[in-house]
Amino acid sequence: MLLHRRIYQFFIIYLLAVAFLFLIKYGLDLSDYVIPGPVDVWHTGTREFSRYFSDVMNTMMVAVIGQVISIFLALLVGITGRQATWIGSFTKAAAYNVQAYPIVALAPIIFILLGDGIISRLLIAAMICYFPLLLSVIGIMSEPISDIEHFYRVTGRMRWQLEVKIRAFENMNKLTTVVAGSATLAMAGTIVAEFIAANAGIGYSIRIALFQSDLAKILIALFLIGITLSVYQGLLEVIGYLIEKGWAAK
Amino acid sequence: MKKIQMQKAFPVILLTIMLIVSFPGSRIGTAEAAEKVSYRLKWLFNMSVAGDIYADVHQFFARQGLKVTIKEGGPERDAIRELELGRAQFGVASADQVIRAVSKGATVVVIAQLFQVNPLQWMYRTDRMKIERLGDLKGHTLGVTFGGNDEAILKTLLAKANLTENDVTLFSVRYDYTPFFKKKVNFWPVYRNTQAVFLGQKLRQAGEDFAFFNPADHGVRFVANSVVTSKTMLEKRPDTVRKFTVALLRGWQAAMDQANAQKTIKTLQQYDRDSTLETLQEQLDITRRLIHPKASIPVGEIDVAAWKQTEKIMLDQRQIPGPVNVERYLKAIPEY
Repeated sequence: MLLHRRIYQFFIIYLLAVAFLFLIKYGLDLSDYVIPGPVDVWHTGTREFSRYFSDVMNTMMVAVIGQVISIFLALLVGITGRQATWIGSFTKAAAYNVQAYPIVALAPIIFILLGDGIISRLLIAAMICYFPLLLSVIGIMSEPISDIEHFYRVTGRMRWQLEVKIRAFENMNKLTTVVAGSATLAMAGTIVAEFIAANAGIGYSIRIALFQSDLAKILIALFLIGITLSVYQGLLEVIGYLIEKGWAAK
Repeated sequence: MKKIQMQKAFPVILLTIMLIVSFPGSRIGTAEAAEKVSYRLKWLFNMSVAGDIYADVHQFFARQGLKVTIKEGGPERDAIRELELGRAQFGVASADQVIRAVSKGATVVVIAQLFQVNPLQWMYRTDRMKIERLGDLKGHTLGVTFGGNDEAILKTLLAKANLTENDVTLFSVRYDYTPFFKKKVNFWPVYRNTQAVFLGQKLRQAGEDFAFFNPADHGVRFVANSVVTSKTMLEKRPDTVRKFTVALLRGWQAAMDQANAQKTIKTLQQYDRDSTLETLQEQLDITRRLIHPKASIPVGEIDVAAWKQTEKIMLDQRQIPGPVNVERYLKAIPEY
């Protein structure tokens, strides 16, 4: 149900955006060089679909791994940072500072040090999507669920693992939304990395299309990125729902 | 009563007059004022735009009754799109951009060709490679920007040498020069008059010998930057186009004149604050050879044969779906 909704919502948004572009094109009588016509977009789509689809899958794979890394990292930092101790505040300060630098300034250094292979793309994807995750995890983990936690505290059975579990369970909806939302950032991060320096993925193909001033290719790339991301986000939401249901059953 | 009404109406009348006077098409109150036009460059302010800046700073445009706003270019800027959208009246575009635009129905006209020799060449280490003929490229790792002009040029060169992509290793070039510095790749695409000067200085400091591979020496003449305007502009304001072209080419000619070298460098330094004097001097010497290689050819001359070859290269590599007869979109430069 969630998946289905995500996909048709994406179709509506994409079609509205493309229709708006065509409206401008025909309203201002612009050539296909400025905005491609529907026939041009269709031909480009049929010609480039399989190649671009494979590029998007390549990017998606890196984005998913990058997101998983950042989820673990955010959980680790968030759980450590939830404590009102010196280590907790230091961890938070360090995590915030790293995020203060724009990725486009850091990316060239990353590529020089790590080359233009998969590791650089992965690192940049993780760096871009981890911070919003971290903020949410810290927010969720720092907020006690008093009515439940109180029982375990007075009976002396409270452990940090239990505390984390209680807070995660009580905020599962929020966590699922944040994780699904961060998928967009992971994908955007990977595309930025590919655009700057990688030799693979849809970001790299978009860069080549820009070199060739080919907006039709870019529209096809955007469609494939959008639909893939919608499916992925829908799946994440379904997984979140299933986990919540499973925990509740226990 | 009437006086009060007049007082109330005064701001409205004033605003209306101001609007009429400030409207681009208005002639009221601007009989003596300069005609305003925008000029979108292809790239950032550097030696490749020295003549454009010179024409502006030294009043060549003003003397033709024009007030030109020069807009810096960049990787995401496209002068041809801006012409069509009415954001600029003139611009600089590469030949492949022009041919691609024409093949997609854009009504663009080339009014001058800035570079007679394409600055896009390859820098290579002479102790690692010896290139006397095209066949010598075989077996080497060659740097190329996929999707860029250099890809089209290199593939044409390989085809001319009866080499396939399996006979060489193509290395994808990006902003980072590390693979070239580390000698992982010894054949690297550069803009001869800008990047190549920085890189050359570094290699000389490291005691390395290098040379340049110019595709034109092997029969491949792919046109670089040219000045463009829209067909509408040419039809509706031919006098403005003529004045602009004359001013621009006079500016370029003066900027490339050996006698004005110091003046050109001083002018460019107002815009390019990062390059050292030594770098700018070297860049100017090289730019002069690319813009005005022979005294017999005027600055800005359109090399029709090279344009036709550029179109053929793009057609052979299926970058355009069919012939566009690019010569129909080239306008001979006026006498200046």
